[in-house]
Amino acid sequence: MADGKGKTVDVKPDKTVIKALALGGLLGGGGECVVDVKDGKAVRIRPFHYDWKYDKKNFNAWKITRNGKTLEPLMKALPSTFSLAYKKRTLSPNRIKYPLKRVDWDPNGERNTQNRGKSKYKRISWEEATDLVASEVKRIHKQYGPLAILVQGDGHGECKTIHTPHGHQGRLLDMMGGFTQQVRNPDSWEGWYWGAKHVWGQGFQGMMSPAANLIKDISENCDMVLCWGCDPETTPWGFTGQYATRICYFWTQAGIKQVYICPDLNYGAAVHADKWIPVLPNTDAALQLAIIYTWLKEGTWDKEYIKTHAVGMDKVEDYVLGKEDGIPKTPEWASKKCGIPEWTIKALAREWAKKVTSIIHYFGGSFIRGPFSHEPGRLECVLLGMRGLGKPGVHQCQITYFGMPRAEGLKSIRFFNPQLSERLKIPCRTTIDAWGKQLIPKTLIQDAILKPPLTFIGSGGQESPTEDQFIKYTYPIAKEDGGTEVYMIWTDTPCRITCWNHGNWTIEAFRHPKIECVVAQHPWLENECLYADIVLPANTTLEVEDIITNTRQGPHFQSVAIQEQAIKPIGESKSDYEIVLEVAKKLGMGEKFSEGKTTRDLQKDVYDTMEMDDLISWDEFEEKKYYVYPVAKDWENDPPGFKKFYEDPENNPLPTPTGKLEFYSARLAEHFPDDRERPPIPKWIEKGETHDERISSERAAMFPMLLMSNHGRWRTHAQCDDITWTRETPTGKVLGFDGYKYEPVWINPIDAEKRGIKDGDVVKVFNERGIVLCGARVWERVRPGVAYVDHGARHDPIIPSRVDRGGAINTIAPNGISSKNAVGQATSGYLVDVQKVSGEEWDEWRRDYPEAFKREYDPASGLRFNAWVEGGME
Amino acid sequence: MKVFVIDVGICNGCYSCQIACKDEHVGNDWTPYAKPQPDTGQFWMRQTEHIRGTVPKVKMHYIPIPCQHCDEAPCIPACPIEGVIYRRDDGLIIIDPEKCTGCKACVDACPYNAIFFNESLNIAQKCTGCAHLLDSGEWTVPRCADACPTEAIKFGEESEFKELIAKAEVLHPEYKAKPRVYYLNIPKKFIGGTVYDPVEKEVVIGASCTLSSDGKKLTATTDGFGDFWFEGLEDGTYSLKIEAKGFTAKTFDKISTEKDVNLGDIPLSK
Repeated sequence: MADGKGKTVDVKPDKTVIKALALGGLLGGGGECVVDVKDGKAVRIRPFHYDWKYDKKNFNAWKITRNGKTLEPLMKALPSTFSLAYKKRTLSPNRIKYPLKRVDWDPNGERNTQNRGKSKYKRISWEEATDLVASEVKRIHKQYGPLAILVQGDGHGECKTIHTPHGHQGRLLDMMGGFTQQVRNPDSWEGWYWGAKHVWGQGFQGMMSPAANLIKDISENCDMVLCWGCDPETTPWGFTGQYATRICYFWTQAGIKQVYICPDLNYGAAVHADKWIPVLPNTDAALQLAIIYTWLKEGTWDKEYIKTHAVGMDKVEDYVLGKEDGIPKTPEWASKKCGIPEWTIKALAREWAKKVTSIIHYFGGSFIRGPFSHEPGRLECVLLGMRGLGKPGVHQCQITYFGMPRAEGLKSIRFFNPQLSERLKIPCRTTIDAWGKQLIPKTLIQDAILKPPLTFIGSGGQESPTEDQFIKYTYPIAKEDGGTEVYMIWTDTPCRITCWNHGNWTIEAFRHPKIECVVAQHPWLENECLYADIVLPANTTLEVEDIITNTRQGPHFQSVAIQEQAIKPIGESKSDYEIVLEVAKKLGMGEKFSEGKTTRDLQKDVYDTMEMDDLISWDEFEEKKYYVYPVAKDWENDPPGFKKFYEDPENNPLPTPTGKLEFYSARLAEHFPDDRERPPIPKWIEKGETHDERISSERAAMFPMLLMSNHGRWRTHAQCDDITWTRETPTGKVLGFDGYKYEPVWINPIDAEKRGIKDGDVVKVFNERGIVLCGARVWERVRPGVAYVDHGARHDPIIPSRVDRGGAINTIAPNGISSKNAVGQATSGYLVDVQKVSGEEWDEWRRDYPEAFKREYDPASGLRFNAWVEGGME
Repeated sequence: MKVFVIDVGICNGCYSCQIACKDEHVGNDWTPYAKPQPDTGQFWMRQTEHIRGTVPKVKMHYIPIPCQHCDEAPCIPACPIEGVIYRRDDGLIIIDPEKCTGCKACVDACPYNAIFFNESLNIAQKCTGCAHLLDSGEWTVPRCADACPTEAIKFGEESEFKELIAKAEVLHPEYKAKPRVYYLNIPKKFIGGTVYDPVEKEVVIGASCTLSSDGKKLTATTDGFGDFWFEGLEDGTYSLKIEAKGFTAKTFDKISTEKDVNLGDIPLSK
C-alpha cells in the first residue's frame, strides 16, 4: 500500500555497490556494507547480506553450543555505527577539494617554517602541486641524499587494496634510492610486544599464537572470562564490526561469567559485566602480583605444568613472596596501589583458581599502553601459565580477531593480507615491517628532529622478530651508508599530534627550520595537515573502483568483493595511489610505478594470488561481485590455542630459547643487565628513569588524577571525529556553554564535587606538558581518581603546542617511551588534574589569541577547515 | 498490522538504529511518505541511555524509542486538518509532508516526544516505519531493524510475535495511547552489595540475604566475590537481613528503590 492517495516513491537504486567500511585498512577488510546509489548520489549505506546472491547452504555455517544455547552466524554483516554513517565522511565539510599550498612557504625564497599551523593555504593546480613536490624531492635527493626524506606512511584507514591509503610514497621513493621510514611502534599491542614476546616467543605482535579455534574452546569449557582492559563493544568496531557483541550475549545466555577489570564501566562492561573490578589505570601489575601471591600461599596453581612448561618460576616466587626485596606482594600491598579492596583481590584469585578461566582482549584497551606496559603484559603470561595455559578453556584470546572458525580456501587470518602480490603489499610494508634504509621509531620522531642524533634499541616494527629488541640502532645511520638527518616529510597519516606520544612536541618538530618541506596527502584538512606546506587531496573508498579481501577474522564469514565506484570523486581529489603516481610521472618514474597496470589488471591480480580460480570462475566472480568463503568442514578439529604445547611441550616447543614459557628471560638479563624498568622477571615498577606517573609521585601533589585513554568509541584513532550524527550522542561530544562541542572527559561525581565541576562544564585537563579543554561527563561510569579521555579528537589549537581546544589529549601524554629499552608509547595511565576553566583564563586566551576564536565553527561537525583556506574551500 | 518488538536485554547501545534512520532520512526526499529531516536535532528513532547504581555496582541499559505508531494516537485528533495524519492499513502512522501546515499541534500532543518540527520546511516530521521501503516490496523491515547487530529490534506482523508480545510491556501505558511498540526485558531496580569480614579482610561467601517488602520475601546467597544482587525490583521500600554462620546478622531498613541501590562493601562482625 502507499499513502492515503495510493502514491508511492521509487526507492530502487541505480546500482548497489559493496564497500568494506571498517577502518583497519591494511588489506584485511571488515565492516562489510553495501551502498545504494541513485543518480550519482549515495542514497544509503546498509549492512551487507552474505546471502544476497548466494544460497546460504554454500557457506557451511558454523555452530557453537553450550548449556543448550547456540551461537550461529547471521546472514548479514554487522558493521559498526560509524561505518553506516560513512556518507558523512565522504561528504564531510572538511574534505580537501583541491591541492593547497601554504601562502608564505616559497621554495625559492622564505619557507617560514615557524608559521606552520598559523598561516593559511591557497588553492593551486595539480600541475603546480606535483611540480613542487617533484622538484623538492629532486632537490633534497641532490643536496642531502634520498634518506633525507622522512616517510610517514603507516597506519590503519579505509579498506582499499589498489588504492590503499598509506605507503605509496614509500614504494616510489624506494625505487629512487630509499627513504627514512617512520616505523610504527605497535601502539595497540605495546605490553605484549615488549613484554609477552619474551615469555612465550614471537606471537602475533606478542599476543598468544597459535590462536586457532579459541571461541569454540572458550564457549565449551570456560566458566569465567576476564575482560581485562578490554572493550569488545568498542575497539572491534574499527576493525571488523559488532561480531564480538553477539559472542558476549551468547556467553551470558550460556552461563559463562564475564568479569571486567578496567577503570571505567566501558561499553562492554555496561551491558555484559557480571562483575566490574574498577582498577586504577596502569596498576594492573600490582593486582596480578597479588593474585600470584594468593595462589602461591594457598597452593592453588598447576605446579606440575610449570615444572615441564616454564622456566624461572623460582625467581618469580622469591620476588612475589618478598624474599628478593623484603616486600611480599600481598593483596594488602596491592590494594593500596591498584585501588581494589583486599578482600576482592583475594576473591578474584580464588574464583580464578576454582573456575576454568580465559582472558580476553581486543588490543587491551588502555591496559597495555601505559608506562612499563611490558610488566602487566608479561604477568598475564605468568598467570595463565600457572593455570596450565593451553588446557581446555585456558587461553588468552583477542576476541574475534583470532580464534574464529576457519574458512575453507583462505591461507591467512592476519590483519593484513600477506597472500597478495608485492605490487599491492609494498605500500603496507611501511606499517608492518621496518624495511626503510634508515629508521626512526614513530615514538622518537620529535626527538629525532629536535635532538639528534639518536640511539635506540629495537625498531618497534610490527612484524619484527623478538631478536630485533636486542639490536642497537642509530639515527642517522653511517654517512657512508647514505645516513643523513631528515629535511623533508611526506605524510599520508597526519594524525600523530592526537594519536601518539606528546603531540605538543610533534608541533614543535614540524615547525623546526631544518624541515624544509612538509607534504601531506589526506582526504580531510585536519591535524597535521595544518602544519604542511603542500596539501594534496586524497579521496575516500566510496569514490574509487577497487577490490577488497575481507580476510580478517571477525565477520560472520570471510569474503572477497569487487568494490565498484559508488560516487564520483569530490572536487579534484585523487586516490592516495593516484596522487603518488602523478608525482612519480613528474620524476620520470610513472611507468615503473604503475607497471602499466589498470584497475581491472589489479583486481584480476588479487583473484589470481588468492587462488580463487579453484573456488569460482573469474566470470562468475565479476558478475556476482563477491565470493563468500565457506567454513572449513573440519574447523572444529583445529587444536585450540596452545593445546599442543600443553599436551607435549618437548615436541611442540615455543619459539623461545628454552622452548618453554620464560618467566625469567635470560636474554633480557644478558642484554640489559642494569635495566630496572624491564627486569628479567616481570615486576611492579613504581617509578623509573623513563616515567614517574604513579599517585605516589611528588608530581601527584599538583596532578592527583590518573588519565586513561581507550581507543575511541566513535572513532578509529583519529578518523570519524566530524560525523554530525555521532557527535549528537551523550558520549560523542559535550555541548559547552559557548556553543562549542567538546571532547568528553569522564570523571566520578566525588572528584567532580571536590572541584565544583558539574556535568556539561567546560574543564581543562592538564599537566606540565600542556592543557586540553574537554566537556565534563560526571557519572558513575568511572571510578574516583580517574580522568578518562579517548585519544584521536581533532586538534584545535588555542595556543599551538600549549593549549588545545579540540580535546586532543595525546598532546599532553608523556613523551617517554614504554621504558628505557622499549620504544613503545605510553599514552594511558599518567598524571593530570582536571579543573574548571576560570573566567580569567577564558578572557586571557580570547585577548591574546583572538584568531583561535575567530575560526569558522559549526557545533554539528566541528571546526570548518575552509577557514584555513584563502577564499574558502566550498 | 505491523509491530516493533524491542528486546532491551540484548540492546548493546550501539546507536546503529538512530544513525541508520538518519542515513535514510537526512538528505533523501521520500515524498509522499516523508521529506528530509534536518541533519541534526531530530531523532525519529531515539536511543536513550540509563545508568544505574554507583561504583562498582553499576549497570546500564538502553531503550531505543521510535514513534510508537499508537492505536489511539493522540497526534491524529490533535491535527486540525483531517487526513493529514493518518493510519495505514498496516498500522503505521504517517504525517503527510505535503499537506502539513506547520501548526505544531501534533508535536505538542505526542506524549512520547516522537514528533519533531522542521523549521525550514515548516512541517512536523517523525518515524514512518520506513513505509516507503516496505511498499517497494524489497524490504520487510525498516532501516533500524536491518542495522541492529543483535536483532534486538524486530519488526513484522503482530501475529508473528504473539508469544513475545504476551511477555512484553509498553512504555507509559498510563498515556492510554496503545502503542504498537512492545518492549521486553526492561530492567527494574536492583539492590546489591558485597559482604566481607573486616577482621580477616575476606569476602563472606554463602551469606544468606533476605529481602522483604509488604510481606513478600526474596532470598539470595553471596557468590564467590561476596556479592549479592536482587534484580527486577519494583519501586518501593525494602528491608534486608544478611546472615552468615559465625557472624552477627546485619539488617538494613527502609531501603528505597526509587534509585538502584548499591549498599557498598558491608562489614559483618562476629
